[in-house]
Amino acid sequence: MNLRLVRGRTADVLFYAGIAAVVALLLKEALTNPGHWSLFFQLAVDGVTLGSVYALIAIGYSMVYGILKLLNFAHGDVYMVGAFIGYGILTLFGGAANWTIPVWLLVALMFGASMLGSGFLGVVIERFAYRPLRDAPRLAPLISALGVSFFLQNSALLLLGAQFRAYPFGLIGQGGVSIRTVFISATRIFVIAGAVVLMIVLTVFVRRSRLGKAMRATSYDREAAMMMGIDADRVIASTFFIGSALAGAAGVMFGLVFTEIFHFMGFTAGLKGFTAAVVGGIGSIPGAMLGGLLIGLGEAYATGYVSSTYQDLIVFSILIFVILVRPSGLLGTAAVQKV
Amino acid sequence: MKRRSALVAALVAMVAAVVAVVATSATAKSSAPAAASSASRSLVSCKRGATIGLAAPITGPAASLGQPQRRWARFFVTRWNAKHKKFKITMTEGDTQLPNVAEPTKVAQSFASNSKILGVVGPAGSQEVVATTPILKGAGLAYVSGSATRTTLTDGSRSGFFFRVVPPDAVQGPTVARFIVNKLKKKNVLIIDDQETYSTGLAADAEGTLKNLGATVSRDSVSQQASDFSALISRIPGSVQVVYIPWQLPPKAQLFAQQMREQGKRQILLSSDGTFDPTTYKPAQEAYASNFPVSAKSPLIASYKRSHGGQPDFFGAPTYAAAQTVATAVAKACANGSASRAEVRANIRKSNIPPAASVIGLRIKFTARGDLNGGRFGLFKVTNGNYTPVG
Repeated sequence: MNLRLVRGRTADVLFYAGIAAVVALLLKEALTNPGHWSLFFQLAVDGVTLGSVYALIAIGYSMVYGILKLLNFAHGDVYMVGAFIGYGILTLFGGAANWTIPVWLLVALMFGASMLGSGFLGVVIERFAYRPLRDAPRLAPLISALGVSFFLQNSALLLLGAQFRAYPFGLIGQGGVSIRTVFISATRIFVIAGAVVLMIVLTVFVRRSRLGKAMRATSYDREAAMMMGIDADRVIASTFFIGSALAGAAGVMFGLVFTEIFHFMGFTAGLKGFTAAVVGGIGSIPGAMLGGLLIGLGEAYATGYVSSTYQDLIVFSILIFVILVRPSGLLGTAAVQKV
Repeated sequence: MKRRSALVAALVAMVAAVVAVVATSATAKSSAPAAASSASRSLVSCKRGATIGLAAPITGPAASLGQPQRRWARFFVTRWNAKHKKFKITMTEGDTQLPNVAEPTKVAQSFASNSKILGVVGPAGSQEVVATTPILKGAGLAYVSGSATRTTLTDGSRSGFFFRVVPPDAVQGPTVARFIVNKLKKKNVLIIDDQETYSTGLAADAEGTLKNLGATVSRDSVSQQASDFSALISRIPGSVQVVYIPWQLPPKAQLFAQQMREQGKRQILLSSDGTFDPTTYKPAQEAYASNFPVSAKSPLIASYKRSHGGQPDFFGAPTYAAAQTVATAVAKACANGSASRAEVRANIRKSNIPPAASVIGLRIKFTARGDLNGGRFGLFKVTNGNYTPVG
């Protein structure tokens, strides 16, 4: 059967059957040995932490695609720059071992500076690399995006060097919460909670605010939105600012949990974030969140129950299956072409 | 009609192009050995100085390995030129962008066609050595690596051309295995490689010896680019006594150690020369690392640290020794005002640099196949960044 042709009810049946099979396999593995429950939940914690970072990156991809139909391949590198801005603030206030201001203030400054810096970087990228190509064939901005990605990577290499930089281990706190044998560190709790807060704020902003409504209108039909008096350039720049700011926040979160950052870190994370956006339904903000979490959990369970050797193979096989039965992603809607 | 004749013309042009390409490559093939041999023997004037090449991953995912190699090689050239006012070394750098094996062949090609280059420092990775051998060997160039440890590189097929100043994995893997079983008295080992050639080869060598010594060995692997090891660590069974991570990147090993600690895993951690970096790899749990004998107390290390912001960049230190080997051989060959690549190769084969002058703390002298004579690995106990020799 050609899965590409599967549509409607058959696709839904296949899709839910696939999900049921994966859940059944996980439960079987966990139930086989009661001791495995702790592994099951520990992996869930690991997966949700990583998934939160992927989700924040995916949102940026999705927002930009939703409005410009552009795959912003430089987005992963904006995330890298965000991580380095956070590290810069840390260094400014005494470095990884001897910070000179209260931790809460330091972390707030790291997030603030990173989000602002990344946001402005996103706006600059849009202004100089994408806006001049807005009416060009669709391949041109794509190539421009790849160029910006290499430019940012190599600029970071040139300015900051190739060595890894380390955020302090346990900056938020060395402790955590233990539920039986499952341990959740304070940093992971902070990152998961922080990501959830950012996603809620974004959702409310897009639904309720004037600018959010303008964004939605522009994504539906840019020309019609402009005819209604919406300044499309401003809306697009704002979209880049918000998406890039979230990527910056994700960069700092990554630094807090996984501590090591380097100039090439945006490549893999960007790829995973992009995949999350596609799986969730590119253009859909809730879809990007769901896609990020699914990829994070998929990676954790694939590593925990099979092997980290085949982690990406397993995760991407599942994703191919999802895309085959739901080409527009989990929460995406099929675009209707009017002729 | 017009369309038909255009089609015929296109077909004729294609056939002509194919014939031309085949003919050219056939000619090139038949003249290749002669060209290589003449490149190898042709004399380069080098009365006041000479040029050597450096092939290292200066950018790309492995830049964190290539940059220290470049810094150490440049450090050597600066010292050499300060000391030898009448015979200066110029270094041409080529970026191999490891693990992209297409790049090192381009770099090798540019070195081969640059008649001024008399010898090459590098390449860094074992896979790069394999990829560049036909070109470098064809051009008669000697190449001395400061980090390629795959055992089979010195199987005899590159004798007289390829040399290395680090011992092979066949020495390191069994050394680690014997240390685990005989010194630590542990018999249940989990080996996690980082999916790169260096790591998988070393893991296989250690696994073989461990099994021969009666240990229970399980294997896993994780991408060198990964930063989240928590799921992998979650599944390490309590019965495992030692976790061996023969990885290339010290920051990743440090991250792994931190995440192990975060999950309360208490296994002994053992790593390889790739992680030997006291400024980065500082696990808080019981840990050991094997390393080729970089002489940590060498005045060269102290001098390097002074001029590089306190960073020792241990991984790059053997590249200093590689550059020293090539430059010494070149200077010897140039004693009469001109030299050929063949002369440089012959001089490298006869290298004999005393331990006191070598940053690796060993005499630089090669076996017939290009390995370091008497190359061995040491074991160090790692306590909060202090590396104490234990075997």
